[in-house]
Amino acid sequence: METATQTDPVLRVEGLSVAAGERAVLSDISFDLHPREILAVIGESGSGKTVLARALASWLADPLRVTGGKILFRGKDLVKDPALARRLAGREIAYVGGNPAGALDPTMTVGAQLVEKLRAVRPDISSAEAKRKAIQLLDAVRIPAAAKRFEEYPFQYSGGMMQRAMIVDALISDPPLLIADNITQPLDVTVAAQILKLMRDLNHQFSTAVLFICSSLPVACDASDRVMVLNQGRVAEMQPPAALIRDPQSGYTRKLIAELPRLWDETTHAPAEERGAPVPVLSIRDVAKAYRIRRRGEAGLSVVQAVRNVSFDVYQGDNFGVVGESGCGKSSLMRLLTGLERPDHGEIVFDGADVGSAPASKLREMRRKFQLVLQDPYGSLPPQWPIGKILEEPLKIHGIGSAAERRERARSVMNEVGLPDGYYNHLTGGLSAGQRQRLNVARAMILEPRLLIMDETLSALDQTEQGKLLDLFERLQAQHGFTYIFISHDLTMVRRVCSRIAVMYLGEVVEVAPNERLFFDPGHPYSRALLSAAPTLEDRRYRPEDCLLEGEPPSPIDLPPGCAFASRCPHAFDRCRRENPVLVNRGGRALAACFLNEPASASLENAHA
Amino acid sequence: MFVLRFLVRRLLQGVVIVFLVSALIFTLLRVVPGDPVRLMAGGMAPEALIEEIATEMGLRDPIPVQFARYIGGVFRGDFGQSFVRPASGAAVGGASFDDSTRGERARVLTLIAETAPMTIQLALLAMVFALMIALPIGIAGGLNPGRWPDRMALYLSSIFVSLPNFWLGIVLALVVSVKWQLVPSIGYHGFAYTILPAFVLAIEIAPFLIRTLTVSVSGVMAQNFIDIARVRGLSWGQIVFRHALKNASVPLLNLLGVQFSMLLGGVLVIEFIFDYPGLGLLTINAVMQRDFPLIQGIAIITAAAFVLINIVVDLAATAIDPRLDY
Repeated sequence: METATQTDPVLRVEGLSVAAGERAVLSDISFDLHPREILAVIGESGSGKTVLARALASWLADPLRVTGGKILFRGKDLVKDPALARRLAGREIAYVGGNPAGALDPTMTVGAQLVEKLRAVRPDISSAEAKRKAIQLLDAVRIPAAAKRFEEYPFQYSGGMMQRAMIVDALISDPPLLIADNITQPLDVTVAAQILKLMRDLNHQFSTAVLFICSSLPVACDASDRVMVLNQGRVAEMQPPAALIRDPQSGYTRKLIAELPRLWDETTHAPAEERGAPVPVLSIRDVAKAYRIRRRGEAGLSVVQAVRNVSFDVYQGDNFGVVGESGCGKSSLMRLLTGLERPDHGEIVFDGADVGSAPASKLREMRRKFQLVLQDPYGSLPPQWPIGKILEEPLKIHGIGSAAERRERARSVMNEVGLPDGYYNHLTGGLSAGQRQRLNVARAMILEPRLLIMDETLSALDQTEQGKLLDLFERLQAQHGFTYIFISHDLTMVRRVCSRIAVMYLGEVVEVAPNERLFFDPGHPYSRALLSAAPTLEDRRYRPEDCLLEGEPPSPIDLPPGCAFASRCPHAFDRCRRENPVLVNRGGRALAACFLNEPASASLENAHA
Repeated sequence: MFVLRFLVRRLLQGVVIVFLVSALIFTLLRVVPGDPVRLMAGGMAPEALIEEIATEMGLRDPIPVQFARYIGGVFRGDFGQSFVRPASGAAVGGASFDDSTRGERARVLTLIAETAPMTIQLALLAMVFALMIALPIGIAGGLNPGRWPDRMALYLSSIFVSLPNFWLGIVLALVVSVKWQLVPSIGYHGFAYTILPAFVLAIEIAPFLIRTLTVSVSGVMAQNFIDIARVRGLSWGQIVFRHALKNASVPLLNLLGVQFSMLLGGVLVIEFIFDYPGLGLLTINAVMQRDFPLIQGIAIITAAAFVLINIVVDLAATAIDPRLDY
């Protein structure tokens, strides 16, 4: 690495073109990458980002192939010399992908695979030396108890830890070039923020040049020294982040920046809090659900507390949001709300009746009034059924109307959600993800429910499609008076749509507040941490350095006493580790579960806000 | 600790399974038509004598009483005595109804202990042959999905599957043993007599193994960690032999367990054709002679063997893939 000076690029790409058959995927890409530099590549899906990453890693699969240009790694052309490219793979040019979950062999320990990889590219290193280095690096990426974790299997790692392990895997051979392809994509925002920080640190420590591929402009700008914008396989422009935001050169970049939703912009349209009459449609009181699981190597069962002490009301015409990171109990809560599972205690009152204890026949009747729309646009629709049949099924189940009336009804909801009438007899195979979610919404609303529960309904869709569906939801709400519950991890979506928002952490609701209040005056340190980690180009109201501690949520098994967030909270004090705070009214229908909100410590809270 | 708990749990489950199987076999044998005493005593024996023998043997008691008596013996390790076979050897026919030598009938456990090792030897050799055929073909097929090794695996499996085993047995015996005199067959006078029947069985099993292997190897090869292993710098050999085959071996292992159990329990046709003195031949004769105690004994022992093989297979699978938790 000493040989590479600041003037010699590690990687120089000249006029690189890649095609799939006859269709050009990348055209005439040129850039330099210097040691210690982080170059971000951004663009929407289909812009060729991942193809570029794979071309540089010499990992193009049929029908993709390089049709022109050079990839010069320290002056040697990898396109001309595939044998050299193969030798460099994993040793000099490291790659980290966006899917850490399946990246290692599930049947071998993480440590064994790290050693195997290092010894595969550097046979001169002994096993003991490789192990020492692996543990040292696991420690460097802040995996707790690295020596113990070294002996564990991939399935015992969480997503965030696995991504750290993959970064170790990439860096263990001291590569001068690291290709990071969407590495924060599957991670929760607070974990993603840590990974980005980690990558920056490591980049300084090991002088690695990083090509950082990413689909979010804010993340790219946060992480890099220069940003390259790709549009339909061509370089739209390349600038340092600050200049790019201030003075975008291409129309495409300007459009990207303009489309970005903003969290704190005063002009952001946030739904007013009290739209309907203050009559609760759904009232949840002190609901809890625990699952009993068997853990390997242990006698007896462990208790996973998936949902604890959850209480809130959803009012007629509300857009109620439930946000939180993966594993916080959002989906368990959804299963309880829809009666798919029964709570251990507490009640879920919908329309005057308790969903949690209703007998099966009553529950089916009640389900006409509350419907669920799921996240996965593919798995949630039967592939062998024509669209009309899918839509008529709920009517049949509830014995509504004659065959002709049902068909009429199906056609009318198709029209309402914007599916062409001609699709009535089509199978779902040809539908896009957005159309599938429209169909899912149509299926849910054909029974004319009062409440629609949207479990991550929009997360599989891109920005543009999300916007169209949100408009649709708004129109349907105006026409039918629906009440929505949006379960989501996406703060910008929630900011745009929801009137009131509940924040969940480790199975508990830690804060319930109206939209404006949550984003401008959050009452719980975890809400602040979430806001501080949200990807946005705006000036942050909450800085990650102040709000975010290292680490991931503790396991919901064997919870410690006291506040669940205490282990990651920068403000935690003795009392937080002894007793668990309950939701306390902060005025204006905003509730938060934090001791800092108590009058005695109010001054302390102000100091940190 | 994990292994111990696993073994205790599975063995207890196994006892329940074997008990249920014996109860079922016992009841069915007594419900279906065919009176063993009539067969033993012969068609000419007077009705009164048959009733007398039957009552003396306890065959006219209610079925639960008979079963309780029988299972009590089994728990003490006594599977009873054959109705038909004398301790000396050859089966006796029906003519001698005034048989005075009832006490010298062969013990069921002895009969099984004599024949089971023969069948185990046959089954093991058949598995070895089957793996020798299936491993190269199946792995090559799985590594090259859609290309010629894959198609060859499919065609060969189709051919193997369509060869009736009795036909193949007879043809091979004629050609290999009689005409070419390469290996002996028919009867048993040494290890060489196992080779031909084992080969016929291997041809019968191999298609299943090949199919499972091609599917699981190609499935594993399509997984992310294999795809990414090359970019991580692992060599082709490491990827295939250390990762792909290890991951693909669990479905194969499960299939091997099932196939081995089936071989132990029912190589009836092949043992019959080759006159191979194993459990299968013993079973056929026992059924034809309505030899209740022998049929029950064989059923219980094979059921127990099924259970044990399954436990071993599951334990081995957990050792390969620690995510599996039975």
